[in-house]
Amino acid sequence: MSKLTQALKYYGILALSYLALAMLLPANHAAQRDYHLSSSAYHALVFLVILPLIGIWLGAFYSYARLQQYSEAIADTSQGDDFQHLTTGFQWLAWGSAATSLLSMALNAIANIHPGFIGFSIIVVNYASLIVPLVAYSYISTGARGLNINAKISISGYGVKALSFGFMLLGVTFCFLTFRHLNIDSLGSTQNPYYLPPWLIILTIIVPYLYTWFIGLLAAYEIYLYGKHSEGVLYQHAIRQLSFGVIAVIASSIVVQYLRSAIPRSGHLSLNTILMLINVIYIFMAIGYIFLSLGARQLRKIEEV
Amino acid sequence: MIGDGELLYERVIRVTHVYLGPAADRFIARQVQNHLHKAPEELSPADLLQLIDWIRIAVSLLTEDSEIIEEYAGQLERLARPAPHTKRTA
Repeated sequence: MSKLTQALKYYGILALSYLALAMLLPANHAAQRDYHLSSSAYHALVFLVILPLIGIWLGAFYSYARLQQYSEAIADTSQGDDFQHLTTGFQWLAWGSAATSLLSMALNAIANIHPGFIGFSIIVVNYASLIVPLVAYSYISTGARGLNINAKISISGYGVKALSFGFMLLGVTFCFLTFRHLNIDSLGSTQNPYYLPPWLIILTIIVPYLYTWFIGLLAAYEIYLYGKHSEGVLYQHAIRQLSFGVIAVIASSIVVQYLRSAIPRSGHLSLNTILMLINVIYIFMAIGYIFLSLGARQLRKIEEV
Repeated sequence: MIGDGELLYERVIRVTHVYLGPAADRFIARQVQNHLHKAPEELSPADLLQLIDWIRIAVSLLTEDSEIIEEYAGQLERLARPAPHTKRTA
């Protein structure tokens, strides 16, 4: 079985499991009460809400499989390890996104029956949502750095300044939005939407997120540099498609993580502007995955003809 | 081996690098091994026209831009022509 077929098979299993959980688990009482929904109307609504996410998973699994095919084709070359790191990073994003969503749905369902469980559920989902991009961006960043070292491309002064400024804005606004939900006067209190004391939120949520986003942005910038400076008309065309895809996926996934962590999870279906905004960002992410797949496919074709 | 002590194979790669970047040497090695059935270093001027034909076919699978294909083939055809005599007598 080819890597592509295998990845799509796993995608199918995960997507069906997620749909089955969404349709079979009992309707959330709080959401039913908030939106005056019957059980069947609730499930129909959940189906519509998770559909874009399942579409994004397809893009994620398809593009990491394409990238894997290219990595294997050039495994013995000087760029082999770097592309393998990129592949592993995107594999983490694909599997991690699906696993976190499944975990979230299962834990929220338990919390629906046992309300005392809601705090634990939100804490676990918050940490799972952090660990996945942390590992994924670390791999992607290592791959991007390696490609630039191989091609003797260094990060320019202006680029670093722009990146630092963007990151500073992102970090400051994130802290502002997060601190609005915390009682800073009582650092040991867990009476907040994160169910953790503020000092623990700062140390284990805010700081790791800021680090994750920094290495994600740095990786996106380094991939951009590699695409810009790589040689060969046909190779460059393919690598630019791939780099646009990488940048779009990283940028949009950072925005989704930002919104989901700065605006605390409720543990149930919430139809609000954040959900609408996230769906708009999914469109950009889907475009990124399409470009990533096209670039990886063209690069592999170069190695096959 | 042709002028400047550089193998014809290496000159072909140098031209190909403009189009295929870091994939150039692997691409040429594949064309020579698969279609001419010899080691890349054994590429001789007599093989060049045949190689160019194969490269034209291979590159047309990568791009529909005929201008790029013809430009690339033209650059390789130049390698098939004997180098102009540049040494001047006093």
